[in-house]
Amino acid sequence: MNYKKTSQKLEIELTGDFNLKAVRKISDLLGDRSELFINLKKARFVNSKAIIFLHKLMQGKPRVVVRLKNPPKIFFELLQTLGLHRIWELDEIVEP
Amino acid sequence: MEAHLLLESKVEMIGTVTDFTYKWCVNMGFDEHSAARMALSVDEILTDIVLYAFKDEKGYVEIWYQYTPSEIEIIIQEKGEPFDPERHTYNREKALIEGDFKGASLETVQSMTDHFLFLNRGKDGKEYRLVQKYIFPHILDLVPNEYNFEKDEDPESEHNYLVTPVTSEDAEDIAKLIYRSYSYSYPKEDLYFPRRIETAIYNEYKYGTIVRTESGRPVGYFAVVKSTDSMIGEVTEAVVSPRHRNRGLMKKMMLHLIEMSRSRSLSGLFGMAMTNHLFSQKVNSRYGFKSTAMIISKTGKRTLKGMEKSQLDMISVILDFLPLTKQWQRPPCLPKDYAELFSEIYNQFEEQEESTVKQKPAGSKSEQTDMNLSINYESQSALITVKTYGSTFVGSCMRMLKSTEELTLTSLYIDLPLDDPYIDSAITWLKDQGFILAGLVPFFHQEEDYLRMQQIYKEVNFSEIQTYSEIAGKLKKMIQDEYDELQKNQSEA
Repeated sequence: MNYKKTSQKLEIELTGDFNLKAVRKISDLLGDRSELFINLKKARFVNSKAIIFLHKLMQGKPRVVVRLKNPPKIFFELLQTLGLHRIWELDEIVEP
Repeated sequence: MEAHLLLESKVEMIGTVTDFTYKWCVNMGFDEHSAARMALSVDEILTDIVLYAFKDEKGYVEIWYQYTPSEIEIIIQEKGEPFDPERHTYNREKALIEGDFKGASLETVQSMTDHFLFLNRGKDGKEYRLVQKYIFPHILDLVPNEYNFEKDEDPESEHNYLVTPVTSEDAEDIAKLIYRSYSYSYPKEDLYFPRRIETAIYNEYKYGTIVRTESGRPVGYFAVVKSTDSMIGEVTEAVVSPRHRNRGLMKKMMLHLIEMSRSRSLSGLFGMAMTNHLFSQKVNSRYGFKSTAMIISKTGKRTLKGMEKSQLDMISVILDFLPLTKQWQRPPCLPKDYAELFSEIYNQFEEQEESTVKQKPAGSKSEQTDMNLSINYESQSALITVKTYGSTFVGSCMRMLKSTEELTLTSLYIDLPLDDPYIDSAITWLKDQGFILAGLVPFFHQEEDYLRMQQIYKEVNFSEIQTYSEIAGKLKKMIQDEYDELQKNQSEA
C-alpha cells in the first residue's frame, strides 16, 4: 500500500483488497491521527473486519474522521448485510 | 479445471488465496462482481481460521475449487479448534448498540453466496462449503418474444447430415434444439442456458458431437461429461430433433462419441439409463455397454421457467459401462455378500484381464481413514467416497454421516474401494446404518473399481422399475430384497 502522513491525517492508497493484513498495517500507521483517507480503487472487496475497524474508528473516542474514495460495489452490499448502512453517513464518508 | 490448495494457516497467505480465488472464478466464467463475492467469502473464512482456529499454533488449510455448468463450489477444510457456528450468530441490534460484531464473518459469507454449509466432522475436522451459481440468461430470454422455434427445422426431406465435434460456438444452437425438441421437459436444466453450455465446453468439462443438415441447421446433439476423479466419462445429454428421428442419427453420434473418447484415452464410458422405460438401456446395450449397478432415487430436475421451486422427479437408473481400455483388471477378491453377483457382472466384459494386483493384506490398515463428500445441490444427493479404510473407519464414517444430517437429501451414496478385505466389515456396518447395495461402479475413482451402496429416503416402488439385461434384473432383485429386509427391520424397531 502507498501512504502519506501528516501530523493529523493519514492518506492511504490500497494496492489490493481491504483485508485483515491491510487493517493491521493501517492501524499501525494511523497512530493517534484524527483523519483517515483511503483510496479503494484497486480493492475488489472490503471485508467485514475492515468495515468493523472503520466503524470503531468513527465511533471511538476520540473520533477519527474517515473518508473513502472509489469503494467497490460489494462494500455497499456488505454494509447493508451488517446493518451499518443505517448509521453510516455515507454522503460524508464516501467521496464522489 | 479443478484446483486444490494446501496452505499453512497464516495471515500472509490470505491475500494470495483470495487473488487465486478471484482469478479462478473469472477464468471459469464468473463476471467480476460474482468472482469478488466468492473471493470475499473465502477471505472471511480464512481470516477466522487464522485468528481463531489455530491462533498462534501451526496448522494447515486445504481448499478445493470445483466447477459444474450451473455453479462453482469452494470447499475449505481445517482441523483447528472446535467451533459451533450456532453460537456465533450475528445480531444487528447488538452490533449497532453494543458494538458486538460476533458472527459478522459468517453473516457476510451467507449473504455473498447462494449456499453456505458448515459441516462439523469432529476429529476429522471442519468443512466450509461455499456455492455460487452462474447468472446466465435462459434461452427464452435470448430470443425475441415471438420467436418461432419450429422455423429452425429443415423440411423432413433433408437427408444429408454433417456430424462434427461441438465447440463453444454451438451453445445457443444446442439450447434452441433442446427447447424445440422437449419444451421444458428435458431433465438437464443446464441445457436451457447457452452460456452454461458454452463455459462447460470451453472449460473441457464436456465434449460432444453435433449433427447439422446441409443448410447448417442443428438437428442432433450428444455429449460426454468427463469425470473429475477418473479417466472416464458419462454419455448424456442426447437429443435428436423430432422430424429427424429414426434416421440413424443417434447411432452416428454414439459411434462418434466412442471414437472421440478413445482418442482422449478415456478408460471407459458409462450411461445412466432411466428405468421407467427400456429404450435407453437397449441403446446402451447395442453399443456394448453392460449393466453394473442400479441407482435408486437419482433425481432429475425439471426446468419450470418463472417458478421459484422446481419439481423433483424420483427416478432410478441403470448404470451401464463400456470399457475402452484393455488394462482393466478385476479385483483379486470380491466382497463376500456380493461375490456371485459381482463375478457375473465382471464376466460380461470379454476383454477383461485376470488380476495381477495383490489384495491389500487384512489388518494392515493405517490409522487414518481418507474419505470425502461431494454434494449435488440440484438433485439433493450426496456421495461419500472412501479412498482408504483406516482403523478409524467406523468413527470417521459416523461423523461424516452425522454431518450430512444437516443437508436436505433425497439420497446418499457411498463408494467403497474393492482392493481391501476390510470391505466386508464396512458393508456389514453400512447395512446396519440403513444402506443397501447399488452395484459396481467401474473405474469411478482414480481408475479403480468401487462398490456403491445407497441410502434412500423415499419409498421405492420396484414394480415401476424396468430392466432390460439379465444382470440388471439380478441387480434389481438383490437390491429389492435388501430394501424389503431393511423396511422390515426398521418397522420392527
